[in-house]
Amino acid sequence: MKNRLVTTALGVSVAALIAGAASANPYAEYEGTTLIVNFPAHPHYNAAMKVLPEFTRETGIEVEVDQLPYLKMRERQTLELTQDEGEYDLISYVVFSKADYVFADQLENLAKYFMNPKLADPNYDAGDLIDGYVQNIGVAGGTKGYLPGPTGSLFGIPFGSETSVLAYRKDVFEKHGIAEPETYDQLLDAACKIPELEPGMGGMASRAASGHQASHAFLLHLAPLGGRVFDDQWNPIINNEAGVAAANALKTIVDCGPEGAMSFGPSEAANAFANGDAAMFMDSIAFMPGFENPERSQVAGKVGYAMHPMGVRRGSQTGGFGIAIPKNAENKEAAFLLMQWLTSKKGDLMVAMEGGNPSRFSTYQDAGLNEKYPFSATFGEALKYADPDWRPIIPVWGKINADIGTTMSKVLTEGLDIQEALDGVAERTRAVMEDAGYYTWQ
Amino acid sequence: MAAPTAKQNSAFFAVIAVLVFMSVGPVLLMFVNSFKLDVDIISGSTGLIFLPTIQNYETALCDVLWYEPEHLDFCALKFGGAFINSLIIALISTVLTLIIGCMAAYALVRFRFMGRDTVSLSTLMVRMVPPAVLLVPVFGLWNNEFCLDRDGLVGGAIREAFGGRGDVCLAGTHSGIILIYVAMNLPFVIWILQSFIVQVPRSLEEAARVDGAGPFQVFFKVVLPLIKPGLAAAAIFTFRIAWNEYLLASALSDRDTKTVPILIVNNMSEFNVEWGVIMATGMLLAIPPIIFTLLASRQIITGMTAGAVKG
Amino acid sequence: MRTAMANRLTPYLFMAPAAIIMALALMYPLGYMIWGSFREWNPSQTIGEAEFVGLKNYIFLWNDPNFHESLGVTLKFAFFVVTIEMVIGVGLALLLDRDIRGMSFLRTMFILPMMIAPVVVGLMWRYMYHPTVGTFNRTLDGLGIPTVDWLGQYALMSVIIADIWQWTPFIFILALAALQSLPRSALEAARIDGATPWQQIIHIKLPLMMPVLIVTALLRLIDAFKVLEVILVMTEGGPGLSTEILALRISRTATEFRELGVAAAMSNYLLILLLLLTVGMFAFNRWQEARAAKLHAQVEEEA
Repeated sequence: MKNRLVTTALGVSVAALIAGAASANPYAEYEGTTLIVNFPAHPHYNAAMKVLPEFTRETGIEVEVDQLPYLKMRERQTLELTQDEGEYDLISYVVFSKADYVFADQLENLAKYFMNPKLADPNYDAGDLIDGYVQNIGVAGGTKGYLPGPTGSLFGIPFGSETSVLAYRKDVFEKHGIAEPETYDQLLDAACKIPELEPGMGGMASRAASGHQASHAFLLHLAPLGGRVFDDQWNPIINNEAGVAAANALKTIVDCGPEGAMSFGPSEAANAFANGDAAMFMDSIAFMPGFENPERSQVAGKVGYAMHPMGVRRGSQTGGFGIAIPKNAENKEAAFLLMQWLTSKKGDLMVAMEGGNPSRFSTYQDAGLNEKYPFSATFGEALKYADPDWRPIIPVWGKINADIGTTMSKVLTEGLDIQEALDGVAERTRAVMEDAGYYTWQ
Repeated sequence: MAAPTAKQNSAFFAVIAVLVFMSVGPVLLMFVNSFKLDVDIISGSTGLIFLPTIQNYETALCDVLWYEPEHLDFCALKFGGAFINSLIIALISTVLTLIIGCMAAYALVRFRFMGRDTVSLSTLMVRMVPPAVLLVPVFGLWNNEFCLDRDGLVGGAIREAFGGRGDVCLAGTHSGIILIYVAMNLPFVIWILQSFIVQVPRSLEEAARVDGAGPFQVFFKVVLPLIKPGLAAAAIFTFRIAWNEYLLASALSDRDTKTVPILIVNNMSEFNVEWGVIMATGMLLAIPPIIFTLLASRQIITGMTAGAVKG
Repeated sequence: MRTAMANRLTPYLFMAPAAIIMALALMYPLGYMIWGSFREWNPSQTIGEAEFVGLKNYIFLWNDPNFHESLGVTLKFAFFVVTIEMVIGVGLALLLDRDIRGMSFLRTMFILPMMIAPVVVGLMWRYMYHPTVGTFNRTLDGLGIPTVDWLGQYALMSVIIADIWQWTPFIFILALAALQSLPRSALEAARIDGATPWQQIIHIKLPLMMPVLIVTALLRLIDAFKVLEVILVMTEGGPGLSTEILALRISRTATEFRELGVAAAMSNYLLILLLLLTVGMFAFNRWQEARAAKLHAQVEEEA
């Protein structure tokens, strides 16, 4: 420890000398620092891992990554962030953790870093960041506490943010003369037609496993079909017609899906599609580059990509991850430099070329990227309809999410009546909200 | 009963063969699959005919290999480190449990602390506690109560010596996990060892004492050597639990003290189930217990039966 | 004088480390848990910061349908697992109780499943149950039989099968040991009296083995409530709550729902349940032991 202090001190003084002598390298002061960052096991972050050595080469800042599955990552962070002094200098967080962390005052407000002339890169071009993502993932404190609004401020930067698109087997659809699904009716129709036309193949592979996955799958259909979990007064309206329609859609999809669909997590669903066991797959764009990799996928080159079909409106999901600096971090400034580097135009493009999800408009327009991943254009288009309110991001969401997830799973496997199931969820959700004080002002 | 005829015998051999196949089959399957590429596992049509590869093991062990495997862009799985953690934790907790358990069992038997029934009943009671029940309190205590202030004398010294940040807590350290494993295994070890110590003839100890040996000498020089089989059985059982446990370790470990079971569960992540690699890690985790089984099956059976049949 | 003193202190010295460790790492945590179960406590708080809410957590659970379901699953799992394993294990022991070569090899191979980490057992079975890639469905498919949705519709059954695979050998080995320690004279006498093998089993062997079998069943029962990793890896409790045994629910409540107080209260319910079961079985065992001893004496006398 002492040794490290000495070297750091030495480094700092040397750096100061150099800074005095030559024009300043903004990274010089932090050379030799080791950042400990917490990333999820996720295709985007796998891509980021490949880019990190470049950062170290350029800046002299070492990065040590603790990679965890994303639900585990949240558990770990809950614990780390409450300590007086935490281990992590930079964390990646799932978008729905935003509420928890900001509410518990565990993340740094980024304003002071962007104000600091020594840290903030003037060429960062924040206007190029996809605004919907920034609002959804980075900003907290606006309308309803989690949506954009004048009272919000920035706590994180989107990195590995996602929206949903539909992947389908061009060859199969052409063979049977089925059109690319534009609407939910067409989607459900196609989903159940395919198992008849193409024996052994399921219609659409979807997440459905009990808990978070089933809830995710349900909410994915809820927004385009016109539903919401809450109305503007925080009253649960998950059990209205749109809710029932969404649950029905999910049930239809799973019933017509590939074998074992009821217990699919996202990886199983994606694998089923990649193995040719299903004709469609609708989920985050994060999975899509994997389908074009012939080493892991038997459907490379046969996949068409379309926008999330329309129900009564367009509403694809917004989700994924952001990166933020914990309040209890040790090397906050160096962490900010890494954050800025990863989300800069250059960093974003590098990560995207390795198969990550861009956070910038300019990256989506990059010719090289479009050549490597031909679907990039569709994704850029889909982003316009990304719905930031497709799921509420409030501190009590974890509990409600779990309830929706188990109840949905029961609908799928045990044939629980949908209306009854959703009424139950609504009732329990109301109790949770009441308990958390959401009806104080009514 | 008439002497079994040859026909009957071969029928029994058939039954035994089937049973052996059933119990070993899944392990063999895992072994075979750990040498397959994911493509081969998923396409499946190849069955036993495939090109064996050690690529999965390379992926798993990338952090301790002396070369960089070609198929990897970066080393995501730090299996080697976890394996070492598992070894440290399992070995130390086994040794500690044995020493402490042995002493306690000896005291209980020789000095008639409590009746045998009281001991077995209370052992049973403690054994009854599922690890999941300990999760909440252990999580809270190890993180918040069993801590040394980082500004205090000892805490400061530890921070000075080992680095790290914040107060010095048991959570996140090897000792934290070892402590709970020792506590969890003690009752069982005491129970088993008791049934062995009871059989040590008292006269031997008396003789040693007459020769001027103190109680500790009697214990270490006379009693311990005589209950070796019991110790072996107890050691294997303790090691097995410490080696295999997942839940408490996952609540208590941090990124540097992760054990192998945690790594495997983490690796069944949502985005990509890489069967080949998982099977390889599973196989590596299973190797020490498999070796024990093959080398010391007699001791294991003794240990298993000692508790129930004799006690 | 000093040696006498030392001798008197010895037992305490020998007991001290064990006592201290168990007090610190078992008893204190259990007390801490009971204390915590009366609080509304989330992982970001220390227990002192958590609000005291009296019996709220217990009452909440008492009325919580999810808790009921999970409890039901736990009891079902424990019941089926113990019953089926006892029947198969004891059956095999009776069948194979003879001196043939290969027996010790079988026993060695039989221990293997028990020694392997539950996490690994879980992943092996998850693979074998996999809807498309898995061994079972592939075999069924190859034979032209419709495949089964193992971890979906029949999740609980599949989980039970995996447990039976892992733990039947335990019962087999204990039952075999018990069988082989039966008094030869009694069996001899029965045979001379012309008892058929069935009669021997029902009237002599089983009753004499009973005390051991009860302890075995009790040990299995206790362990059945501890199962967590295998299920966690195979199904994560799903689909729905169909395989979410209490141990798993406790861990999810603590880590995923972040309600340590509720998780602690649930742990207490589980402990009380186990306590009742253990004490019940223990009493039953006493009674059986007494009976067996009487029978033993009788048989000896007749012989």
